[in-house]
Amino acid sequence: MRETQKRGGRRLAMLLLLAFTVVFLGAVVWLGDAWQGTALATDFTRKNLSPCLTYPFGTDWMGRDMFARTVAGLSMSIRIGLLTACISAGIAFLMGLMAAVMGRFADGMIGILIDLVLGIPHMLLLILISFACGRGFFGVVAGVSLTHWASLARLLRGEVLQLKESQYIKIAERLGKGRLYVAFWHMAPNLLAQFVTGLVLLFPHAILHEASITFLGFGLSPEQPAVGNILSESMQYLVTGKWWLALFPGLLLVLVVLLFHYIGQAACRLIDPGSTHE
Amino acid sequence: MLAAAFALGLSGCRASGEAGSAADAKGQASQSQSRDSVVVVMGPSSEPEAGFDPVYGWGAGEHVHEPLIQSTLTVTTADLKIGYDLAVEMETSGDGLIWTVKLRDDVKFSDGEPLTAKDVAFTYNMLRDSSSVNDFTMLKEARAVDETTVEFELKRPYSIWPYTMAITGIIPEHAYGPDYGSHPIGSGRYLLRQWDKGQQVILESNPDYYGEAPKMKKVTILFMDEDAAYAAALSGQVDLVYTSAAFSEQTVSGFSLFSCETVDNRGFNLPAAPAGETDENGVRLGNDFTADETVRRAINLAIDREEMIGHVLNGHGTAAYSVCDKMPWYNPAAELSCDPGQAAALLEQAGWLAGADGIREKNGVRAAFRLLYPAGDSVRQALCEDTANQLAGVGIDVTVEGVGWDTAYDQAQSTPLMWGWGAHTPMELYNIYHTKPGGKYAEYSPYANAGVDAWMDAALSSGSLEESYELWRKAQWDGKTGITQAGEIPWIWLVNIDHLYWVKDGLKVAKQKLHPHGHGWTIVNNVDQWTWE
Repeated sequence: MRETQKRGGRRLAMLLLLAFTVVFLGAVVWLGDAWQGTALATDFTRKNLSPCLTYPFGTDWMGRDMFARTVAGLSMSIRIGLLTACISAGIAFLMGLMAAVMGRFADGMIGILIDLVLGIPHMLLLILISFACGRGFFGVVAGVSLTHWASLARLLRGEVLQLKESQYIKIAERLGKGRLYVAFWHMAPNLLAQFVTGLVLLFPHAILHEASITFLGFGLSPEQPAVGNILSESMQYLVTGKWWLALFPGLLLVLVVLLFHYIGQAACRLIDPGSTHE
Repeated sequence: MLAAAFALGLSGCRASGEAGSAADAKGQASQSQSRDSVVVVMGPSSEPEAGFDPVYGWGAGEHVHEPLIQSTLTVTTADLKIGYDLAVEMETSGDGLIWTVKLRDDVKFSDGEPLTAKDVAFTYNMLRDSSSVNDFTMLKEARAVDETTVEFELKRPYSIWPYTMAITGIIPEHAYGPDYGSHPIGSGRYLLRQWDKGQQVILESNPDYYGEAPKMKKVTILFMDEDAAYAAALSGQVDLVYTSAAFSEQTVSGFSLFSCETVDNRGFNLPAAPAGETDENGVRLGNDFTADETVRRAINLAIDREEMIGHVLNGHGTAAYSVCDKMPWYNPAAELSCDPGQAAALLEQAGWLAGADGIREKNGVRAAFRLLYPAGDSVRQALCEDTANQLAGVGIDVTVEGVGWDTAYDQAQSTPLMWGWGAHTPMELYNIYHTKPGGKYAEYSPYANAGVDAWMDAALSSGSLEESYELWRKAQWDGKTGITQAGEIPWIWLVNIDHLYWVKDGLKVAKQKLHPHGHGWTIVNNVDQWTWE
């Protein structure tokens, strides 16, 4: 009895952590959206202020409120992260299923495609796609979502190949069910756990890559509040001792990425049938 | 066997040579205090990509400066008029199509060969045929009449030809080849001793120079990013370091801030034609809001340039009213004082009335425009933001947006863009304001005024430079029409950015001409006259 209570407590703790992180990230997204105007506003009478009560993260060389700017940047990052991770995971899901149901040739082609994408250095492919798509918001979304599906697709494909050999699938095929029916009706539910976990674990990747590509100047245009922009601008001013421009936005970015990581872990623990009773 | 040993020896030698040069550079840096050498730091973009070859842009192009290694026929003087270097006499035919230049006869290239009119003709014909940086389309042919006389035949009158001569380094016909850029032979004040690509250039004074011997015997130029350059100044291992307004409030012990006035201006274009047209490549032209002349005038009035200089440049700049402030061909009629009240009144009169959100409107057109800047240029970005803030005060909504140069030129045809100009030649006026030959509008922003065109054409075909200055001035404002506030004001000029440097105590930098656009080689134009005290 005591044992189960303890296990139940762990599950509860997970739920609480999950709730807290979701609320925190939700608040960042909402606040950032509301502060979009504040984040862009420049006021040269208050430039280069170090952190104080009015401007907890200080201001930059054009007098922009770095707190508003950081939160708006993170909000943008999270939204881009969500969007691209969902697209990426969607592509991975379809690829995985297609490999299974469309015969050996399609499987081979998808295998090659996965190897191709995984074989090219990630950042390079990202820059290439983003640049070809005209940079900006669209470039970043296209770049990040077209490069992050490969490893998840490989995982799902492996699962599907395993499922294909299982008795109930074979029985379904013998009963004359179509390939699509089998794929979506019998296989998809079994892939859900991997899919959801994979999706959540894609977020931090997508966010970090959005930030890096913008940092390198191939992403969002520099007046946009984005963490990559904030960090790349701060580099210029670090040498003159304006530490606050890099420190706080960098820390917050790490925090957000960590929180997503915890959500992934929590989701995995909560969904995985093996740990349901912990 | 012997050959192999020889090759080995050679490669071994090269390896040790490189190691030696690195140590060398360090050595120089630490003893830069010695009386006749100087270490200068410039930005990485100042390193000439194609080397020190005038045919491929050395000295000329967008960032003009004296070629140092080569001599030029003329030079620009302190007041940006024309003086002589290789030339001793210059003459134009009545129709302005033939220029005859007499050369000095005592000039030798650094390989000992004399510099003759043949080399000059070779240089100019070469530039005409292969220069991608300079405009030599007006040159028909350069001919050597005798050893010391060269004759230029032009296709059309070009009274400001001496300004082209001032940036064209003369190359030797007998020693010009594909690797000239990295092994230049010239007759100028300095010889190129060493060039480590991506790192440094070492110049040494030319012992056979025909003019006054350079006081600085050795000039080392390092290429560094702005923050690395600042760090180099902090370490004290260099003598003169470029910097920007962002660093101007710092102090560096042993160095003081040296500020050079410039014509390196920043300003934005206002397309002076309504939207709707496209050019032959399908690029959209014109902008409905900025097509209104009153709007352009009001914008020019509403800009507080002094405030902008304080905000963006920490005070290191001067107000700009034209693309050529303080040049001999500048028309001061362009100057005005900021008056937002007057600007608002102008807009009211023209029917631009404030809407619900405080932004003006007229016949459904919102008083709003996007203002573009080249992404990565923080000074232009800040100028755009400050412009937006100032124009908000008179009810104009400006959205600032960064773009890459790949699309900026096309976008500028319909959207204002923050430009940087400023050259030691009136040709810039022509490039910006004159209708493109065969086109309907000027090249960079839709604008056309037959009156302005006529004055500039007259200036180009005028008989003397002095006379042409007056005509260039009239092209800007002739009492009736022009490109100034009283005229059609298709471009708004904001500031001339002072070029800032950290200069080591004791280094006397010779008096500078107004620097043109580009914060690079211009500073060392007269490095031969710098001294230590």
